[in-house]
Amino acid sequence: MGKKKDVASLKGDIEITEHTLPLDDLCRQLRTCPLKGLSHAWAKVMSEKEGPNRLTPPKTTPQWVIFIRNVFSYFGILLWIGAILCFIAYAIQASSSETASKDNLWLGLVLTIVVLITGIFSFYQESKSSAIMESFKDLVPQYARVIREGQRLTLKAEEVTIGDLVEVQLGDRIPADIRIVEAKSFKVDNSSLTGESEAQSRGPDCTNENPLETKNLAFFSTNAVEGTAKGIVIRIGDNTVMGRIAGLVSGLDSGETPIAKEIAHFIHIITVVAFGLALALLAAAIALRYHWLDGVIFFIGIIVAWVPEGLLATVTVCLTLTAKRMAKKNCLVKNLEAVETLGSTSAICSDKTGTLTQNRMTVSHLWVEGGIVDAKLNDDCTSVGVAGYNKRDGYQKLVRIAALCSTAEFKGGQDSSVPVMKRDVAGDASEAAILKFVELAEGSAAKIRERFPKICEIPFNSSDKFQLSIHANNMTDKGCHLLVMKGAPERILERCSTIMTNQGEVAMNDKALDAFHDAYLELGSLGERVLGFCDLPLPSCDYPIGYNFNSEEPNFPLTELRFVGLISMLDPPRPTVPDAVAKCRSAGVRVIMVTGDHPITAKAIAKSVGIISPENETIEDIANRLGVPLSEVSPESASAAVVHGGELKELSETELDNVLRNYSEIVFARTSPQQKLQIVEALQKQGAIVAVTGDGVNDSPALKKADIGVAMGITGSDVSKQAADMILLDDNFSTIVAGVEEGRLIFDNLKKSIAYTLTSKIPEVSPFLFFILFDIPLALGSVTILCIDLGTDMVPAISLAYEKSESDIMLRSPRDPKRDRLVNERLISVAYGQVGMIQAVAGFFVYFIIMAENGFLPQDLYGIRPRWESRAVNDLEDSYGQEWTYVARKKLEYTCHTAFFVAIVIVQWADVIICKTRRLSLWDQGMGNWVLNFGLVFETAVAAFLSYTPGMDVALRMQPLKFVWWLPPLPFAVLIMLYDEVRRWLIRRQPGGWVEMETYY
Amino acid sequence: MVDPKSKKYSSPSKSANNGFKEFLYNTKDGTVMGRTGSSWGKIILFYIIFYAGLASFFCLNFYIFYLTLNMDEPKFQLDESLIGTNPGLGFRPMPDPDRSPDSTLIWFRRNVPSDYLFWSKQLEVFVDETDTGKKDAGSVNLQACTLDNDKRATSITACQVKVDNLEYCNKNNAFGFSRGEPCILIKLNKIYGWVPEPYGFDERDRFSEAQLRDDLDKEIREKHMPVDLKYHILNETRGLDPNTKNFDSHRRMLLSTVWINCDGENVADTENIGQINYYPFRGIAGYYFPFLKQQGYQSPFILVELKNPMPGVVINVECKAFARNVKPDRLARLATTHFEILID
Repeated sequence: MGKKKDVASLKGDIEITEHTLPLDDLCRQLRTCPLKGLSHAWAKVMSEKEGPNRLTPPKTTPQWVIFIRNVFSYFGILLWIGAILCFIAYAIQASSSETASKDNLWLGLVLTIVVLITGIFSFYQESKSSAIMESFKDLVPQYARVIREGQRLTLKAEEVTIGDLVEVQLGDRIPADIRIVEAKSFKVDNSSLTGESEAQSRGPDCTNENPLETKNLAFFSTNAVEGTAKGIVIRIGDNTVMGRIAGLVSGLDSGETPIAKEIAHFIHIITVVAFGLALALLAAAIALRYHWLDGVIFFIGIIVAWVPEGLLATVTVCLTLTAKRMAKKNCLVKNLEAVETLGSTSAICSDKTGTLTQNRMTVSHLWVEGGIVDAKLNDDCTSVGVAGYNKRDGYQKLVRIAALCSTAEFKGGQDSSVPVMKRDVAGDASEAAILKFVELAEGSAAKIRERFPKICEIPFNSSDKFQLSIHANNMTDKGCHLLVMKGAPERILERCSTIMTNQGEVAMNDKALDAFHDAYLELGSLGERVLGFCDLPLPSCDYPIGYNFNSEEPNFPLTELRFVGLISMLDPPRPTVPDAVAKCRSAGVRVIMVTGDHPITAKAIAKSVGIISPENETIEDIANRLGVPLSEVSPESASAAVVHGGELKELSETELDNVLRNYSEIVFARTSPQQKLQIVEALQKQGAIVAVTGDGVNDSPALKKADIGVAMGITGSDVSKQAADMILLDDNFSTIVAGVEEGRLIFDNLKKSIAYTLTSKIPEVSPFLFFILFDIPLALGSVTILCIDLGTDMVPAISLAYEKSESDIMLRSPRDPKRDRLVNERLISVAYGQVGMIQAVAGFFVYFIIMAENGFLPQDLYGIRPRWESRAVNDLEDSYGQEWTYVARKKLEYTCHTAFFVAIVIVQWADVIICKTRRLSLWDQGMGNWVLNFGLVFETAVAAFLSYTPGMDVALRMQPLKFVWWLPPLPFAVLIMLYDEVRRWLIRRQPGGWVEMETYY
Repeated sequence: MVDPKSKKYSSPSKSANNGFKEFLYNTKDGTVMGRTGSSWGKIILFYIIFYAGLASFFCLNFYIFYLTLNMDEPKFQLDESLIGTNPGLGFRPMPDPDRSPDSTLIWFRRNVPSDYLFWSKQLEVFVDETDTGKKDAGSVNLQACTLDNDKRATSITACQVKVDNLEYCNKNNAFGFSRGEPCILIKLNKIYGWVPEPYGFDERDRFSEAQLRDDLDKEIREKHMPVDLKYHILNETRGLDPNTKNFDSHRRMLLSTVWINCDGENVADTENIGQINYYPFRGIAGYYFPFLKQQGYQSPFILVELKNPMPGVVINVECKAFARNVKPDRLARLATTHFEILID
């Protein structure tokens, strides 16, 4: 109970206010000092009060509990009940007669073995993928440098407590949630928390109310990638942002998979059928004046006979096969049942970075000489086209600055055969993008740099927002130095007095300024990151060769520069994504973007991949187009929405519900981990089956809660991989679509497989019914039933998993989990009521033939059972007056069992062939499933083997059959095929007609 | 614009959750167990037609098969049939099959008619039926066969089973049950077309005494034929008068007998069982064979009298049949029958 409450509180957003307080107030509150840190005494007090700074490991479920859970799954319980009933029946028989047949004992044992083996199999599958908390442990740093009473100490991270002053530098993991008090070009990598891969600078100023966005907080377990900083610890252990996520993840319950629900429903159905029939039989047995104990044995016998022994294994194997097939398509399934979940998915909440996009900044546009140029990468990624601009002076200058004003370099050891786009770059994402652009556009950035060796540079800093370098010019002997600068466009513009236009360099004027602002806005609205570039040739008279440039106290001009142009970059969508999104759309799966990124970027990407389709507008778009304020646009007129995390915070549950209901295309931006979870839960409450993709730790609560969590194999953190059910090995969204397709296919094919397997239950159970009701010798024994269920039926049933889909399954809506069940009454009606009955008749046909050919005509079999079964009767007379010993007639009976068994195999040929399709004609579906064709041969070979191998009469009571006894079931096999072909023809001819309503499963 | 899927997300109709009662009869929709009256009608009609069609298909197939059957003789015979060529042995009387279906214990108290009549009545009925059967059908197809009269079972005629020479085993003394000296009826299972092979004939079908001895010794070795039966057979053979005109066929018929021997199953049983008499003859004569479903065919039998069985103990009795092509097999109960006797 307590745990549930905890999880509920964890779901709320983090409330941190410490960063907004004035530093002095905070220090007073925490009784610390931004210079000397805590006193030892107070640190000890706090340490005792707050406990150690570590993540509490969750209560792990012991392995044996998991094992028991696997062995007693839904299906398992059914088999267990069957087994126990068998043992009870055997005990009753054994206590009443010394010569009781051991059939029930064997049956019970076989059931036990089947359930144990399948249980162990799925336990093995599952145990490979638990231990979520283990991966969180790796995030926790080992040691921390703390200042207490002015002394630097190296403590175990566990000993850090609230109020401690800690010191971090690049390469460290932040040991707790800290408020920065002092920073030197300090940058942290928050990707594990927010999903943003860009390193972010941190400093002492509070820049935002939102703790995740403000600059003066750094969080537990994130990495410091640059610089150094000091900070005051404000949260430790489980109370840290990361700790709360960890707690949330381990506290969340992902619930039952859709396929587990379907299997439970299926078991519910067959249990009802089995008990109904068994009760009817019990009543009949009592009416026929059987001893009540016999009645109980019959009752048990029917229930046990109704258990589909092989189905559990069949379903498990089918799912495993699909999982294997998905793994080949880079979709690794951790939890077998999740294989199907993707197929049922009706909504995908996709992360942006890395999943939809390439997670690789790329130059997309230039603004040069007053025009926006598309930087188009050609198809083989070996060069960039700039549409006729490459001879322009402005363009040449821009590329020169881009090449020079940069600290990025290709990492050594990569030979030129590696495509430029794939090469590793030392330097931040923007510089890498520019470097690659230059390399592709001009052939070699290194050549330009050789020509203009760097003499002096000023690195980027967050207050000035520019980066500058000064280069010598080797081309001319005049010794003309070149100053180049790049940075935030408006800051660069401020420093310029002239601008390059198509008329050459002109003085800054309003027209040029307007053009600049238009371009800047336009590129910004595309969600692109824009950088401005300017340069200035330094006159050689003032700055001769050997001039001592000083970067600390610039002795060169920083203003009156020449503005050259803009370069904008973005993380481009993966090329296959728009197609995949379109496929999802046609498959009725809505794709919702949930990202930690900025709304503008998110929206731009959403538009470019089709999550927001071109014809749809958001409220903001409409307001913009009509030129009216937002408040005047009615929300109903828009079908797309971009929801900011801040807005989301204000929404009530019903409001969020309405948003999800009213807008078909939604982008959630700047969302916190808790909000992701909230979105998933809201969707689930509406009945959707939700897939969530994500790679960061921040995504893991949503991944865990989703019906199917999909983690990224390459960029994904271990935590997200642990929380997910499925891992995309290539991080590619379109792989999900392949997964959806496979999931839908396996659902259809499982239906077929189950229909096939259930059908033979009728011919298996009816001999027992006839045995009791009409007192004829048993036509099929329990050993032969097992031979069918666990022998001949297995391969064909599994082979149906290889059946190709009948129509384009990606053009229909996802199944409605409430209506479109795995097993429904129509499937039962066709399998049990129709095809199964034909099969039973085929079996009895052979049975009566063999009995008649050996002397027992059908009319004389009626009522013969008591004498037939009596060991004392050694001279039972047949229709021709011949007298049969007990052993001889039992041999005859076992021959009938074998023939009945063979008959089932033969009619199951027809059954597996008709189960290939649910709607199409076999003619259209074809016999291209070679596994199935093999299954046909295989089951026949098994049947022949069981019948003709010497010794089988002792081992399994199988008798060799005369060849002609293989033939009588054939007309029935043909009948089954014809009947079902006609049924499907009627379904196709009259969509929605009676035949479809009653028999289409 | 409304999300096309919003309908789907709308709260599901509650009908599914309103419990079993509503499932049985839903007043609102007028459905019984989820279907309306006409829906039930249609589906029931469909299944009636479907099953009627299926039944007709079965009947048609079975009719075609039936045309291949001959009502006068089984399609598969002897070794082709699973009945085989080694006949079983049966005994009468048998315990009540309803009360103890697998029991073979004959248990009764001497001098208590309510006890022994249950057993003796069975024999009475059996013997009487054989007797009346003779009267009904005898005029046409039954003939009085003896070892020396050359009358044999043919495809049309069969031999009468004599019931008048059973000596002490008759209904007037309740087949000996009243006195604690019960007669047990032993019969050989009928197998269509089966005939016993005689002892003493070589491959060329010529009789020689040496061959007979060889055959019998082989039976003793391989089939555990009791030695006294060997001498019984030899004595019977020697006892024939070689001067009669159909001596050869007489001897052949005698040697075609299916010889029967009853004894205790174990040593103790052998001690308890006492003297055993066979009526009318220690075997079933060869002229009764083959059984070819002749009209009025009577199953031949003998009665085995236990002259002085030990009272108060269960005696396991095993009777075996011997002929050249008959091999007793205790496990398969071929040419062997087993029962227990307990006389109180």
